[in-house]
Amino acid sequence: MKKLSLVFAVALASFVSLSAQAVDQREYHKDVIGKDCKTCHDQGLKNYPSDQACTQCHDVDELAEQTARSEEDKWQNPHNNLHYGKELPCIECHGEHELKKPMCSNCHTFKYDKHK
Amino acid sequence: MSKVNLLERRNFIKGMGAAAGAAGMAMAAPAMAVSQSANGVKWDKEVEIAIIGSGFAGLAAGIESMRLGAKDVHIFEKMSYFGGNSAINGGLFAAPGTPMQKKEGVNDSVERMVQDQLKAGRGIADEALLRHVAEHAVEALQMTFDAGSEYHPYLQQLGGHSVARTYQTTVSCGAGITQPLLKECRKLGVQTHNRAKFEGFLVNDEGKVEGFKIRQGYYFGEEDTGKLMHIKAKRGVLMATGGFAQNVNLRMAQDPTLTAEVGCTNAPGATGEGMYEMFRLGAIPVHLAHIQSGPWASPDEGGFGYVSNYSIYNFPHSMAVNCLTGERFMNEIADRKTRADAELACRDKQGNPLPPILITSYKDSKKHPNTKKVIKYNVGWKFDSVEELAKHFNVPLKPLKAQIKEYNQYVKSGNDAQFGKNMTKAKGKYIEAPFTVVRLWPKVHYCQGGVQVNTKAEVKDSFTGKPIAGLYAAGEVCGGVHGVSRLGSCSIPECMVMGMTAARTMMKA
Repeated sequence: MKKLSLVFAVALASFVSLSAQAVDQREYHKDVIGKDCKTCHDQGLKNYPSDQACTQCHDVDELAEQTARSEEDKWQNPHNNLHYGKELPCIECHGEHELKKPMCSNCHTFKYDKHK
Repeated sequence: MSKVNLLERRNFIKGMGAAAGAAGMAMAAPAMAVSQSANGVKWDKEVEIAIIGSGFAGLAAGIESMRLGAKDVHIFEKMSYFGGNSAINGGLFAAPGTPMQKKEGVNDSVERMVQDQLKAGRGIADEALLRHVAEHAVEALQMTFDAGSEYHPYLQQLGGHSVARTYQTTVSCGAGITQPLLKECRKLGVQTHNRAKFEGFLVNDEGKVEGFKIRQGYYFGEEDTGKLMHIKAKRGVLMATGGFAQNVNLRMAQDPTLTAEVGCTNAPGATGEGMYEMFRLGAIPVHLAHIQSGPWASPDEGGFGYVSNYSIYNFPHSMAVNCLTGERFMNEIADRKTRADAELACRDKQGNPLPPILITSYKDSKKHPNTKKVIKYNVGWKFDSVEELAKHFNVPLKPLKAQIKEYNQYVKSGNDAQFGKNMTKAKGKYIEAPFTVVRLWPKVHYCQGGVQVNTKAEVKDSFTGKPIAGLYAAGEVCGGVHGVSRLGSCSIPECMVMGMTAARTMMKA
């Protein structure tokens, strides 16, 4: 049983890394960044982008405004949320080369239809 | 099996999956920390006070040490975000002799709070520590007021407490405290470092903790990321690293019943390596097998979610029912262990988990801000009749109706003949349609065990019984304070008071 799930995990892992290469980049980022990986990978190509990498272009306050919710649900704003305010590093929820789940879904059933 | 039931079952399994996933993540992060000699270490940096962990204990210590005149205080947090498990906790704060108790005419004292806790601790709680925390709890509450925390304008009486003594933040979450405290820390000049994972102590020949290793630029779950740094801490190192509820291996080593089936309310970082490293150094392990599951959690959402606070508020005027029998099966405000055990025993005829339901009158439940949310996010339901309710959860209607009738007699008489529930807070609150209902299933919530500390927050050595020089601990990482079962809302005062205490001790060191 253990062996079987290990095989499955390995298969899944290789599938994920393959798809990572296949997904490559978002269209709108291609327009701006092109193929200059270092634009985002400011800590070296083999490392994750720093927590400041995305905010070179994206303004946290603007993002918070764009995803603002009604007064009743105001703390469900992923870019200004109850638990961590505006401090959550982007890569907790977003990946350029892989799809991620919003971090809120660890505990909550909120819908983020436009999340990617 | 009806369609509805299939859905329920699926949601339940989904909940399990989320729990197992989180557990898998934790298990992939082995405890790598190893302490070593400080001799000949080339220090990358020297700080005055080092605090490992950024929950209630770490933040309170940061503020208090700055207020006492510290110049160079640093908080190191292994996750990418600050607040630890405290940032997702329920935001419930118990203290005796508070302004709101005076206003509501509640007769309470340090002694009374200690006695309640000793009872839940079933004879093995640390009375000196409980008394120290209770004596300073109002000071800690004041620290949150000063930092800007806001609380609901009413007190709550939680399970196991003999009086109403619990404040709760208006956002019904610990973040209502950690966010203001974090801001206050920074305002006072505390330096905060995220992605900084503790990797072991650096100890001199006399056994004194001189400093520690930290992995800066660490990505959770990827052990070789980041750069190792050696940091000297002049006044000491405060371990405020929390519990190990997310580490299924470690918790099952202590209590094999706490499989991934039980789920977990904690933040993913609660994996326990800071605590285990203190044991390697010689700290005394206490009460590790006493791990508490929250009886107010729901299998229909992950983690602490929305239901937990909803049910904590509603238990005093609600009825918990076994779906198989349609009857009550516990005192809804007994202490946490009593209730968690009773819920885990609710199973179908094949022995599979059959989460019980909590039935509340909508008129009473709606006073809590989460009620709207649990309905909106499909983790709770509103029904206009008993028939509708019974059908949804496949509960036998006749016994359920009889149970409601019987329970309402207890509301009237103030005497629960079935389970001896204290009906004070249920006065006048009959179980009547329309109803709101959530499902209950325990989740691992709090580790009572940890390292032994004294009332100065010094960590004691296993063989000498004396404090390990340079080492302090506060919060959930410490053990023995609560004994068998921690009462709800008693962790925040403990974390904050012991964090403040550690700061006071270190500033004298």
